[in-house]
Amino acid sequence: MQPLVFSPTPNPTLFSVEGIVGIIFLLTVALVIFGALVAVNSHRLVRAVSGLAICFTGLAGVYYFLLSPFLAMMQLLIYVGAVSILIAFGIMMSTPEQQDLPGNKHISKLAGPLGCSVGALFFAGFSVLGLNTQWQVFPRPENASGDIEAVGKVLLTTHSMVFELISIVLLLAIIGALVLARRGRN
Amino acid sequence: MSGYWSDILVGSKSLVTGLMITARQFFRPVVTENYPYEVPEMTERFRGHIELIANEETGKPNCIACMACQRACPSDCISVAGKKMEGEKKKTVTKYVLDFTKCSLCGSCVESCKFNALRFSKEYNLVSFNKDDFIIDLVKRLEDQN
Amino acid sequence: METSIWRPILYLVGIMAFAGLNAAYLGWCERKGAGRIQRRPGPKEVGFAGLLQPLADGIKLMTKQLMVPQGVDGIIFRVAPVIAMIPAITSMVVIPFSGNIQARAMELSVLLIFALASLGMMAVLLGGWASGNKYAIISSARAVSQNLAYEIPMLLTVISIVMISGSMNLRDIAIDQQGGFWHWNIFRFENGHFLYMWIGFIIFFICSLAETNRAPFDMAEAESELVAGYMTEYGSMGFGLFMMGEYLNIVVGACLTATLFLGGWDCPFGLTPGVWWFLLKIYVLIFTVIWVRWTYPRTQIYRLLNLSWKILIPFSLVNVLVTAALIKVF
Repeated sequence: MQPLVFSPTPNPTLFSVEGIVGIIFLLTVALVIFGALVAVNSHRLVRAVSGLAICFTGLAGVYYFLLSPFLAMMQLLIYVGAVSILIAFGIMMSTPEQQDLPGNKHISKLAGPLGCSVGALFFAGFSVLGLNTQWQVFPRPENASGDIEAVGKVLLTTHSMVFELISIVLLLAIIGALVLARRGRN
Repeated sequence: MSGYWSDILVGSKSLVTGLMITARQFFRPVVTENYPYEVPEMTERFRGHIELIANEETGKPNCIACMACQRACPSDCISVAGKKMEGEKKKTVTKYVLDFTKCSLCGSCVESCKFNALRFSKEYNLVSFNKDDFIIDLVKRLEDQN
Repeated sequence: METSIWRPILYLVGIMAFAGLNAAYLGWCERKGAGRIQRRPGPKEVGFAGLLQPLADGIKLMTKQLMVPQGVDGIIFRVAPVIAMIPAITSMVVIPFSGNIQARAMELSVLLIFALASLGMMAVLLGGWASGNKYAIISSARAVSQNLAYEIPMLLTVISIVMISGSMNLRDIAIDQQGGFWHWNIFRFENGHFLYMWIGFIIFFICSLAETNRAPFDMAEAESELVAGYMTEYGSMGFGLFMMGEYLNIVVGACLTATLFLGGWDCPFGLTPGVWWFLLKIYVLIFTVIWVRWTYPRTQIYRLLNLSWKILIPFSLVNVLVTAALIKVF
């Protein structure tokens, strides 16, 4: 079976399938923004990691709406299930008590306005770009349902270089972990 | 490496044995008693609080108020009183009060009784919020039982 | 696929009902089973044979005060039990109960279930941390290291199944095994898979016990050493949600095992396939889980990790290699 294909009807009502799908899309986007805000603004590190996990979950939803369910699942499995958990694990093991982080007073007062303006600049740039581009509507890609045969073919032909490089990265990570663990033992 | 394989084999065998044991128990009948519905019969040598033995013919207590149990009691739980009825040779017990709060069920009273008048009861349902409920009038208890 | 609005709503209601009934009555089954194994009757007072016991427990849990102790992280503490429930219920969306009872036959349903299972891990971690209690933190650290260690052999055995069926769709995997028990992945006759697939089945079953934090791998709530583990500070419905999440994870694990290895809704003799066979299979598996729990004592955390890294992972790696070789050779 195939994922829902959006046949853009001009004015979908709220209780049609398109309407509900639209609401869910807005929810995932809200999840991304909310998670990112929590991750940046909270004083407690574990809360920040939870925010990060929420943000990743929302991103998985966005990937699903972009017709790549395989990436969405991988986002959940790897980023929420492994990366966030390892970060949270590290924080839990390293800080003995839940403590509020001391405010970083030595950071220049310019940091806030500077960050805001750079962000605003990026936002404006992308908005201009997005609004002025003639968007082509591509046909639904071949492996939009996440059929593993298609994924396998793509991984071993078009993206074989990336695939091999990832295995080298993993090898390096394993060797690094071994080196660290060996040193710790003696 | 040889230890590795034998570990796996021996381990799996013991795991299967364990599962078989519990499976066998699963299909066997229940052994527990459903207490409020099934009242258990106490064993022969169970020690409840003491009670008076009634004469099988008359239903009156065998006790003649000789005070041996009262003297034998190490914690002064027992207080006995009796008087001589007209036309009888022996005394009859009129009062036999057991303070069960102090009793340690040592059995000295039962041992000291020479007239087959005292034994351990099979009573185990004793519970109360009030201490006075454990000061038991054994004469009255015997009358109630008859 | 018909895109009627009623289909998702009906499936939502159906899945909620299935999940709720299972979460409530598996507790009863567990207590009855434990009772029988220990030669006692189990719950019997509330209703006939104690059948209303889950209702009584539910009322009791719901009417209790939701205590949030001092020094906990309030928001995470309240949210964690909810996160524990979400993945368990969501996973049921892709489970094929029979050829035509499945909420959504996603192409990547196996992957979806594993992705959601890792969300459940997050709930345990956050719940334990937010309690601000040493026992809870130790317990959640244990739970996570255990789950990470057992995810590897589990995924490896699933990969061998996916290679045989050529699909990650649970429905396709189940359809691939139709037509009698000699087609099921565990005894699959063609290509000689039956020679070793039962090892894969045992590995998968052990991993699913460990992933759902069930005895003998219930390190996370080892009550003799860690009070109640990550649930130490939880009372009332917070605790109730964690419990229900645990039982639903067992149900999802059993559904996954039944679909991947035992032919899903297929009848062993090729007659009358249907949802009843699927239910029969998952409840036999769930009974086995309960049976195992009341048979074995708890292992120790390092033995648990040794079992995973020294036995299960090598075996499942060899399993994948042998599967690939047999598929290519024949």
